[in-house]
Order: sequence, then structure tokens, then C-alpha cells
Amino acid sequence: MQNNLILWLLFTPMISSVVVYVVGRFLAPNDTEKPNKTVWLCVAGIAATFVPFILSSINILNGKSVTTTIGDITLVFDGISMLVSLTVLILGLAVILFSVDYMAAEHSEEKFYGLLMILITSIIGLSTSTDLFNIYIWFELMAVSTYSLVAFYRNRATSLEAGIKYLTQSAAGSIFIILGIAMIFGTTGKISMQDIPALIASSKRIMIAAGACFITGYGIKCAFVPMHFWLPDAHSQAPSGVSAMLSGIVIETGLIALLRSLSALNPAAASFGIIFLLIGALNMLIGNLGALRQSEVKRMFAFSSISHMGYIALGIGFFLTFQESTASADGVFFHIFNHAMMKGLAFLAAGAIVFNLKQAKGDHSPLMVKDLDGISQKYPWYALLLSIAVLALGGLPPLAGFISKWQIFAGGALSKNPWAMFLIVFAGINSVLSLGYYAPLVNRMYRHQPSQTVLAGISKCSATMLASLILLGIFVVLLGLFPMLISNYTGSASSALLNMFR
Amino acid sequence: MTAILIALIILFPWFGAVIIWLMKDEQEKLTHILAMSFSAFSAVLSLVLLTRIGQDQISAYSLGIGMGDLAFSADALGIILTCIANCIGCLAVVFSKDYMNGEKDLQRYYSMILLFIGAMSGLVLTSNAMLIFFFWEITALCSYQLISFYNDDPKAVRGGLKALFITQFGGIGLLLGSLLIFSQTGSLDIQHFIAAAQAGEISSAALAVAGFGLIAAAAAKSSQFPFFTWLPDAMEAPTPVSALIHAATMVNAGVYLLCRFAPAFQGVAGWNTTVLWVGIITILLSSVMAIFANDLKRVLAYSTVSQLGFLFAAIGAGSVTASQFHLLSHAIFKALLFLCAGAVIHSVGTRDMRLMGNLYKKMKPVAICFIIGACSLAGIPIFNGFWSKELILEAIHSGAPLSVYILMLFAVILTAIYSIRCVWMVFFGKEKSELHVHEPGRFMKYSLYVLAAGTVVSWLTFGGFSNAFSKSLPHHEIEAESLGKFLSTIIKDPLTYLAIFMVILGIVLWIFHKPGPSKAVLPKVLETCAVNSFGFEIINEKIIDKIQNLSEFSRELQSGILNWNIFGVLTGLVLILIVLGIGG
Repeated sequence: MQNNLILWLLFTPMISSVVVYVVGRFLAPNDTEKPNKTVWLCVAGIAATFVPFILSSINILNGKSVTTTIGDITLVFDGISMLVSLTVLILGLAVILFSVDYMAAEHSEEKFYGLLMILITSIIGLSTSTDLFNIYIWFELMAVSTYSLVAFYRNRATSLEAGIKYLTQSAAGSIFIILGIAMIFGTTGKISMQDIPALIASSKRIMIAAGACFITGYGIKCAFVPMHFWLPDAHSQAPSGVSAMLSGIVIETGLIALLRSLSALNPAAASFGIIFLLIGALNMLIGNLGALRQSEVKRMFAFSSISHMGYIALGIGFFLTFQESTASADGVFFHIFNHAMMKGLAFLAAGAIVFNLKQAKGDHSPLMVKDLDGISQKYPWYALLLSIAVLALGGLPPLAGFISKWQIFAGGALSKNPWAMFLIVFAGINSVLSLGYYAPLVNRMYRHQPSQTVLAGISKCSATMLASLILLGIFVVLLGLFPMLISNYTGSASSALLNMFR
Repeated sequence: MTAILIALIILFPWFGAVIIWLMKDEQEKLTHILAMSFSAFSAVLSLVLLTRIGQDQISAYSLGIGMGDLAFSADALGIILTCIANCIGCLAVVFSKDYMNGEKDLQRYYSMILLFIGAMSGLVLTSNAMLIFFFWEITALCSYQLISFYNDDPKAVRGGLKALFITQFGGIGLLLGSLLIFSQTGSLDIQHFIAAAQAGEISSAALAVAGFGLIAAAAAKSSQFPFFTWLPDAMEAPTPVSALIHAATMVNAGVYLLCRFAPAFQGVAGWNTTVLWVGIITILLSSVMAIFANDLKRVLAYSTVSQLGFLFAAIGAGSVTASQFHLLSHAIFKALLFLCAGAVIHSVGTRDMRLMGNLYKKMKPVAICFIIGACSLAGIPIFNGFWSKELILEAIHSGAPLSVYILMLFAVILTAIYSIRCVWMVFFGKEKSELHVHEPGRFMKYSLYVLAAGTVVSWLTFGGFSNAFSKSLPHHEIEAESLGKFLSTIIKDPLTYLAIFMVILGIVLWIFHKPGPSKAVLPKVLETCAVNSFGFEIINEKIIDKIQNLSEFSRELQSGILNWNIFGVLTGLVLILIVLGIGG
């Protein structure tokens, strides 16, 4: 097993997805009110995946490498894979627990769980790939599973519309990616990221074009402005658990794919970093402005994901542009993990609230900001956890979001570059701006007079939903107070990134 | 020992906050008792910590890359403020036992207060620039939550959000400052930074940007010009919160920040002058606003702003001791004034001074406490405010141009006017309406008596105070002075009598124009300006308007039309190619 850890890591969730689906078909309950029992197989699948993950992580943290070769394909589990897998497994576990009751009334839940496991497999797989083609394959697998998840409510027009828009734009993005790969393969005859840099010194222009194709193609998935227009629709129309996965890890995985692909081209253009800085600034601003006047809670969180991609892109930009800014990479990976926890918590808490207020009564209208009035009177835990999530997203201590933003900024400051300082101040102003939509939510939730919607909501809270929220909430609070708990993981990821680019 | 004490002082109230949050609505009595015990124990701890003042640096472990160490220092600057926060915090909680009796959501109220007390202690004790920012933001969070405690009232929510935005916006200055410290010295340790700055190892441009960044942060937090508009609106908070956060502690964080970093920026051209003038302008503007305000809590808020201006001016004139000593006096007498105001408001049910009057007979104990506080505020001899204000005036006379000193004397007149006006309108004069007055509760009175006693005697600590400062702050170069020497300097100085004359002049001026309260003393134009916050409210609103318009515009971009979305993708590709083309 020791030699094939990566295969175990990939096959465990892949096989569980099939098992979960098939067993789920047979178990499909006549009574649609009760959850399909196959969900517990899904939980077991995640738990089983933790075993090879932990074994591989121990190797990485001890400085050993974890590699598997099958024919021409080499898979490497490095620091980045470790961080991405950790994030997706924790978030995936929370989402599945959350969905037990949330999806109970839906038709064909077993498809939902099967797709979710495929999504998790593809994200782990993507993070271990070392050649352009494999990345692309895993990336498409991830995309296909998310298309179906976004449009999961297939009888609703809005949900289908979001799914179609998402599909069209992602497909456009895929074309760019293929084009980029073709340019590189045509010039060098290689697809392995390690072999390419040595062969491209003479063909700089083609490589720049390939780089632009990658940034555009993967950038669509990462919601880089101005390729972000699909995101608010897709992330707000999907079932809450899927929104959490999409915002929490899928867009970040797009970024990992982009970084891996760009690492092949590194010698060709030094200005990749500047693009990330520009995109970072744009994303923060556009995301925040979009969210500021939103009256629909999930849509607001979707815009907030755009702005958080901005912070992440800014950190990558610092790292690529300035030699001294390696601490930014630590910050970026820390923020990726934190964002998964915070945004996951925000979407799931909003989902739990909309479930109790509307969905359980057959009302499928979206959760509006005004529905949150006085929610703490009836659902104190949901109110507390959603408050923690939004305040963390706004970057207030002692919660996780503050620390990782600080680390990104601190890395940028080490460059001693005035423009870096300017961007940091700009990011700081954006953080204040973001409180303009997060803080009023908290005020609404803690009113004494509940809204009519709240009074009419069902009182019973689902235990599994609450458990999933608390799981994420613990990370958000703990990492804010004890950031060193995860520094081994972010540190390995950061040194892996350093290996790729320097 | 010191390390354990510091850890307890920060974590114990936080632990209390968690416990109290878990209380049930029905356990109201238990909630009160728990809050009182937690805050009382923290207060005792903070008093024990007073004995540990020294140059100790406590550093535990590294927090991670770019975050420095979990480090604290046990010097006088931090420990005295910790004591203020914990002791006044305890009194405010005791006061709340009666004041908040029967209110809903007590758990949230007390949890936030305890979270605040712990964070305030952390803010002043830490010697890591990132942790200052960390605790700084927690205090902002608590302040905002407590201002908008009555979330159903739109005014309270608006006040809370305003406080949050303005202090956070200023906080960017602190972010910038601490990041510059990190990038220039490679460490976040404040002592290390000050030493490097004094040795001239830091580029002067970076030092200047950091210095002015910190001034912006401090001005926003301490509600100084041009950020002073949030504090009056913060008065929607329950009164014990106003006393604790918006008079005695959090608003002092800005002053603390400048005192802490002052030695590093002595070489920056214009740094001291800027601090001085921010203070002076604030004092003048806010004193005038205090004279025209009719809401009891707003008058006190304006007077807080103006007293904080005195603290700024003292730092600008180069005297950290004077600033800190007045900070101590101000924390005590302003907490007293606010809590008295709370007792009055609780008893009569309104904050409008025009509806009060002749309350002296109906609530004698509260009236006497309030008058003691007001005398101290006005600078009438033997109360603590008199001594510390004289110290500031002396520092300004020796450390700043004469014109500034004259302006300060003018400010003393204004202070006397608004103090006497406030006392007169509330406790004396004609009865304006048939207000039903009920007796303030037992716990309210206890807190008031303790603070009143403090107002009368706290200046006696000057000797120990100045000794602790000179002993524990090597970079500040402060000379110790005994109480006797301090008193004799002030009593012998003819300028003291000039200042006392100004106070009397202010009172006399007001008494002669009493029929039309204060109107004849100052011109009518000034009243219009003062009531409108000298136009700063309008600027705030314009900014909010602009941002909202921008947001509406950005929503129009999000059309949802597929062609438009694909157009976005293509634009992106073109832009990326252009940047890469130029760069490559």
C-alpha cells in the first residue's frame, strides 16, 4: 500500500461514488420525506479516504515524497495536493452531513451523493497531476460533475438557466485550455510540466500566447474579472451544499490547475505576476460592489467569493512578482483553506435557515436578507454560526479570515515595493467595504422582533445540519486564535509552489 | 508569574464571555452574577499585575510566518490601561445589574463586554505589532455590536455601523504602519522597531508613512478630527457601555498607540505638530458642539472627544506622562459622569436635557456625584481633572508655540461653559415637565460612589505613576517626579492661576447669559455650524452615496445575458495578451 498511496487516495472516493449510487438506487425509499440511507455509505467513503490521505501527509510532513507512476503518467502528492485534499475532505464531509436532511425530500438523492464523490475524486486527482493533459482531464471531470450539481433542481427554470450559462462559459474556457496545451505540445512535443521549461527558450511568443490562453481558460473557472459573470447565477441557484463546494474549493482548484500549468511556462514571461495583481484588485472591487446592494443572501455570498478570489490572486501576484514575498504563498494557501471553511459555513448556515424557514414547507423561493430579521430568537445556533461566518469573511478577528489576509499582506509588504503597499491599502479598504454588507446581516439576525417568515418557520433543527455547521465553525474560530495549527500544511504547500516557480 | 497573569487577564474574561453566552434567557439572575464575578476577578487580577510593572518582555511561541511571536511587555503604559479597562469594566458591569434589569438578550450584552475587556487588555499589553492590530479590531467589533445592541432601532444600527466603518477605515493606517514595521525591520517586535528607528536604521520615507498611518488610525479610534462624527452617534449604546467603551477605554486606544510609538517618530518632520493640531482642532470644534447639544449623552460624548483632544495635544507637545495622567483622570471622571447620566436617564426616561431640570432634590446622591465629575471636567481645583489638566497646560506652554497655549486657554473657558450648562439644565433651574422619577438601584449607587471617590483622590497616585513610567519605558526618556514636587510646581506657577481664572470666567459668562442658554455667548452662525457637525456629517453621507451609486452601476454590468458574459471572457483574453505582450 505504501507505494500506491496516491492510487488508494484516488480510488477510494471513486469506488465509493459508484457504490453509493448503486446502493442508493436499490434503497430509494418510497417515503420521500426520509433521507436515503446511502448517505451514510458516502460518509464512510470520505472517512475511508482520510486513511490514505493521512498516511501520505505523514510522508510529506517528514520530508519524503509520495509518487506513483503508471505507464507514462506520473502522479505526485506534494504540499499543494496535501492542502487541497485536506480542504476538500473536510468540506466534503460537512456538505454531506448537511445534505442528509436538506436533500431528503428531493428525487434521486443518490445521484447527488454519487456526483459529489466524483467531484471530490477529481479535485484530489487534479492536485496530484504533473502533466498538462492529466490536469485537463481531471479538470473536465470536475466541470462535468459540477454542471449536473448546479442544475440539480432540474424542474426549476432558474436552476436550469444557471446550469446552461455555466456549461457554455466553462466549455468556452475549455477550448482556450486545449488551445494552450496544443501550442505547447506543438512546439516542444512534451506535456510534462517538468520537461517543458528547458525547451521553450527560443519560442517565447508562442508561450506567451499559451499563457494567455491558460489564464483565460482556467480564469473562467476561478471567476477572474471580467470572466466572472457566470458565478453569481451558478453559485446561488445550486443546492446549498453544492454552493459551499463550488465557492469553497472548486474555484480555488481552478487556480491550482492554472498555477500548475503556468509553472511549465515560467521562464517565458515574468509578467504573469502583474496580471495576478491586476486581477486581484479588480476582483476585490467588483465582488464587493456587486454584493453591497444584494437583497438575496446566497447571491451576496457568491459575489463575496469573487472578492475573496481577489485576495487569493493578489497573494499569488505578490509571490510571482517579488522575490522576497514567499510568505504571501503561505497566506494564499491559508486563505484557500480558511475560505473553504468560512464560505462553506456561510452557505451551509444560510441553507439551514432557508430549509427551516421555507424549503421544508415546500416554498422554493430564495432566502432574502429581510427574512433574517430576528432569527436569533428562534434559531440561536444558526444565527451565531452564520454571524461567525460573515464576520470571518469580513476579516474581523479573532476569526480565521483576519489571519490569512494578514499573512498575504505581510508577504507583500516584505517586497518593500510602494506599489505593493498601495495594493495592500486598496485591499484593506475593500475589507472595510465588505463589512458594509456583512455587518448589517448580523444586526438583522440579532433583532428582538422576528420577521413573519421566521415566526412561521418550523422549529425543529436537524442534528446533522447543526453538526456540519459546528464542524466548520470550529475551524473558523480555532484557526483565528491558533494559526500555527495549520502552518505545517500551508508551509509545505508554499514550498511546493516555490519549487514550481523558482 | 507575570506571564501567567497576563494570559489570565486576557483569557479569563473571554472564557467568561463563552460561559455567559451559553446561559438561558430564564437564568437572568445567574447571568448577572456570573458577569459580575468574572469582571470582578479580572479587576483583581489587573490590580495584582500593577505590582509587576517593569521592563519584562514575555515571548511565548511563534504564531507563524509573517506573524511574529505571541509577545507581551509588562510596562507601565500597558498595565495602567489594563487596570483602567478591568476596574471600570467591573464597575460598569455592576452598574448594569440594575440598569439592564429585565432586558432581553443579556447574554449577548455581557459576553460582548467581557470579550471587549479581554481584548482591550491584550491591545495594550502586547508588544507585537500584528497583535495590536488583532486586538484593535476585536475592540472595534465589540464596540459596534454593543452600540447597536438594540438592533430593532434603526438609529442604533446606524450608529453601530458608522462607528465600525470609521474606525476600520482608520485602522487601515495601523495595518499599513505595522506592515511597514515588519518590512523594514523584518520583525514585528515594537521595542526592536523603536530602537531601530531611533538608531536611524529605517528609511525616512517608510518611517514617515508609518507615522502618519498611525496618526490616522489613532484619530479614527479616538474620534478626533476629521473622524470625530462617530462618537456622538455611538451614544445609542446602553449607558454602561458608553461609560466603559466610549469614555474610559476603547477611545483611549488611539492615544495609547501614539504614546507607545511616539519615541520612534520624533525624527519625522511634522509628526508632533500634526498630532498637536489634530488635538487642538478637535478640542475647539467639539467644545462648541457640546455647548449647543441638548441630548445629555451627546454633550458628554462631545466633551469626551474634546478631552481626548487634550490628550493628543499633550503628546504633540512631547509629554507622554501628561497625556497618560490626564487619560487616567478622564477615564475615572468621565465614566462617573456617564454612569450618573445613565442613572438619570434610567430614572426619568429621557435623554433630552430640555425636559429635565431641578432633579437635584429628587436624586441627591446621583446629583452630587455628577457635580463632582463635572467639577473635575471643568478643571476646578483639588479634583483629579484639575491636576492633570494643569500638567497638560504646562506641557503645552513649554513644548508648543504661545499661540497654541492661548487657544488651549480658550478651550478651558469653553469646557467650563458646557460643564456648568449641563449641570444646571439637569439638576437645577425650573422643572420643565412632570417626569416621574424613581430611585436609582443599589448597585448603581455602589459604582457611582467608587468612581466619585476615585475622582477626588486619584491624583494622589502621581508619584508612583511617574515613577512607574520612568522605570519601565527606557525609550520614552521620562523623568520621575514625586507628588510633592509636582504639587509645589503647580501651586507656585502663576499660569495655574491664569487657568483657574479662565474656568471662573467661563462659569461667570454662562451665568450672566443663562436666560437664553449660551446663545449670547457665542454667535448664531456658530450654532448652526455646530448643530450640523461643521459639515462633516454631509461629507460622510456624500461618501456613502457615491459608494452606493457605484454599486448600483456595477450591478448593471451583471446583465445575465450570455453574449455579454462571453464578451467579458474575450475582453479578458485581449487584456491579458496586452499586459503579457508589454511585459514579455
